[in-house]
Amino acid sequence: METELLYALRDPAGIPSHPVIFLVLGVLTFALHIAAVQMMLGASTLTLWGAFSKEPYRRRLAHSMINVAKVMVSVAIVLGVAPLLFVQVIYDPFWYTANVLSAWWVIGFILILLVGYTLMYVFYWRNHHLSDPAQKLSCPGAMVASVVLLLVVGFIMHVLSQQMLQPEQWMSWYAPNGDLETRGTTLHAFHPWRFLFFISLSAPVTGALLVAYQRYFRARDDVEPAYLDWVRDLAYRMINVGGVVALLLGGVWMATLPQAVAGFALSLWVWVAAGGLLGFVAFAHWVRGKGDSPWAYAVLGVGTVAIILVAVAREALRWAKLHGVHGYNALDYSINMDWYSTLTFFITFGVMGTGVLAYYLTVAWRAGQTRGVYTASAVVDRMGNIAIAMLVLWIVHYFVLGFVWWAL
Amino acid sequence: MEFIGLYPTWHEPTIGSGWVVGLIATIHVLFSHTSVGAAIFFAFLATIAYRRNQPELLTFIKKYGLFLLVFAYVAGSITGVGIWYSTTVASPRGISALIHSFVWKWATEWVFFVIEVVGVYLVVYLVGKVDQRTHLRITWIFALASYATMLIIIGILSFMLWPGKEAWFTEGGYLNGFYGSNTFAQLAMRSAFMFTMTAVVGGIVASRLTDLDLRREIIRKLAWLGIASTITGTALFSWYTNTLPEHAHLVMQARLPDWFSVSLLAVLGGILVYFIASLIQPRLLTPVVASIATVSILVFGLWPEEVARESIRKPYVAGEYVYSNQVIGRDVPGMGIRSEIPVIQAHGLLKTHVFLPEELREVNGENAARVGRAIALSMCANCHSVTDTGMRPLRNYLGGHTDVARIKTYLKGALTTGNTLYMPLIPLTDEEAEALAVYMASLNDPQVPARYAAQRADIARAQSPSASVSMKE
Repeated sequence: METELLYALRDPAGIPSHPVIFLVLGVLTFALHIAAVQMMLGASTLTLWGAFSKEPYRRRLAHSMINVAKVMVSVAIVLGVAPLLFVQVIYDPFWYTANVLSAWWVIGFILILLVGYTLMYVFYWRNHHLSDPAQKLSCPGAMVASVVLLLVVGFIMHVLSQQMLQPEQWMSWYAPNGDLETRGTTLHAFHPWRFLFFISLSAPVTGALLVAYQRYFRARDDVEPAYLDWVRDLAYRMINVGGVVALLLGGVWMATLPQAVAGFALSLWVWVAAGGLLGFVAFAHWVRGKGDSPWAYAVLGVGTVAIILVAVAREALRWAKLHGVHGYNALDYSINMDWYSTLTFFITFGVMGTGVLAYYLTVAWRAGQTRGVYTASAVVDRMGNIAIAMLVLWIVHYFVLGFVWWAL
Repeated sequence: MEFIGLYPTWHEPTIGSGWVVGLIATIHVLFSHTSVGAAIFFAFLATIAYRRNQPELLTFIKKYGLFLLVFAYVAGSITGVGIWYSTTVASPRGISALIHSFVWKWATEWVFFVIEVVGVYLVVYLVGKVDQRTHLRITWIFALASYATMLIIIGILSFMLWPGKEAWFTEGGYLNGFYGSNTFAQLAMRSAFMFTMTAVVGGIVASRLTDLDLRREIIRKLAWLGIASTITGTALFSWYTNTLPEHAHLVMQARLPDWFSVSLLAVLGGILVYFIASLIQPRLLTPVVASIATVSILVFGLWPEEVARESIRKPYVAGEYVYSNQVIGRDVPGMGIRSEIPVIQAHGLLKTHVFLPEELREVNGENAARVGRAIALSMCANCHSVTDTGMRPLRNYLGGHTDVARIKTYLKGALTTGNTLYMPLIPLTDEEAEALAVYMASLNDPQVPARYAAQRADIARAQSPSASVSMKE
């Protein structure tokens, strides 16, 4: 499709801030979203791995992981809203077209996710004694189906991402014989190695989560240290083996890029992302050598940085295709600057959101490490009061500004 | 040549893409309103529980919270994203208009949404595991963040119907688009009715409580909440309708059936009776009865309301400038937006639509029906199904006529003048109108395209120089 037509599809309202802000936020939030997706898949797979075993530690891990998995689906959905929002802002011609061309699957995404998530809950409800190997497993098929369906929704998202990169194919998909095909029942483009690469990252990312998990529960005297040692060993194996497998799959993905962007495979972006993944594995190895230390939590942090670098490379590939091949420059979107809504977001996100979540996570962290009832310290109480005050202030500002503006 | 940024069309042949959006949106409204109302109700109950030392109330919070985790937060968050997805494929330029004006507001809502989702887990799972004051703080934060999500989305929903202030069209600006009479009226009305939904759905959980005293107390509290919110919401509904633009009232008079208002009052009356009965006789409330009431609210309350909201913003789909067929129908100088109607009038739709195959950009005898179908899919299918089922099928508007010339005259009169109240102005060149007429006639008689092609061929032969020569001979 010609560049002129791609530009014609842009929204004429423009955007309320510089496009680079949306680009950066899109990359960062995608990284967080995909990390949550990978943890969700990893935790679900570990649930199955443990549930089908009679081995006590594996069953115990399955019991923990089903709880992690169901929370992670929520987290993945919530975090997924942000990159979904930002991609529509600067890549609207591509995102909307890719979606409409496979509309039936886009709607299917919602239903499949709903069923997959519900089945996970069904398995959870039916197996409250999962940690006990003597208890018979109930409805394991629900969990198997849940994992399969979650992979299907991941694949649908993968297809949409691929379709938006191929404007040259759009008309042949939409009007294959000169007549419009408007049912949207076909998935037109996919790249198996790319999909497998992102899925395979579930192993090292979930491994990093397990490293933090085993460290966190060492503070509790009611959790058996031998179990935590077993989890630690499993976690590092997942990071090492999973990291290497992911790198190999990433290499195959790069080797099979379309001719028009084949050169991207050797670009700095790819080397930096690969270096990030290798660095993450190396860092985990280093932390393991330090024994039981708070550095264990840093593995999760470094893993997140590695995923951000992968997300940056993914964005650079999109840029290489859409700008390099099709001439579309996401950064020359016309700007209708709106300072109020821009500042409202950054203050809400940076000040209020950070403050409230810091309070929430502090309470959750402390309560999880406490046997019995956790009593908050004066500092934590103060954090809570400030969090409430900020929320009240935000709501007051909404009404005061709104009424004044309305009355003017 | 200037192109207008129309996307491909998705046409769901069985029920229509519009109904798909409507179904997902209606279900989401039930989930989201219930959860916001419940968050505030939890804060109220937790405050009572800790102040009056009634820890049994926390049992209900935990049970209702767990129920909501699946009912509202699993299904609610998925259908929330589902509204984006379904509108993306059914009305890409409609959702794009909202996204591009309110991206930061949606991003701000996302911050509250993250707090809300973390909050519901903490409220439910930390009952009895943290000290009372901490749990109360957690619950209030959850309630405030939940309500903030509603504050934001209401402004966007109001804009979708009618930009807050007229100044938005000339000056642009987020504040002009977001805040207006309708914003606050809609917020007030929805705030009331969200408690009605909370009370109805809460009945499913309350009626399952085994502690009979607690069961009675909670059911009565829910009943009072339901009675107060239904009466308040009904009063606020008239404020809401008074803030609607004049053309919305005209569309309501013209399009909504006479029984609509009566049925709405009947639904509200039924809800009141339901709450009064459960207040007087809590034993009557069972999980089955409460579930039926929930489904009834969905089917008889929310669905008609969503359909009505969809109808009254016609012919527009967003901000009174994006037509339901995705064409930008008016200038918005404040945002640098120009109407696309003059471009289509000057060059025709076929020449300016981005997503048309080259062979359909010119009309001839052979492809007239195919071109007509492409025009119908692009300009009509968002509101009119091109199949026999679904939303307002096109063929039903012709009264069985198959005369191409008559249909063409009808189309030119009804579409290109912009005189039909709830229909977009659709400029069609003479050839485009004829192609659309051929296609529409073919919906009632599949032989029409062949006859039309033969007719055009005859005319062409008659007009060709060689034909003239042979006739003279």
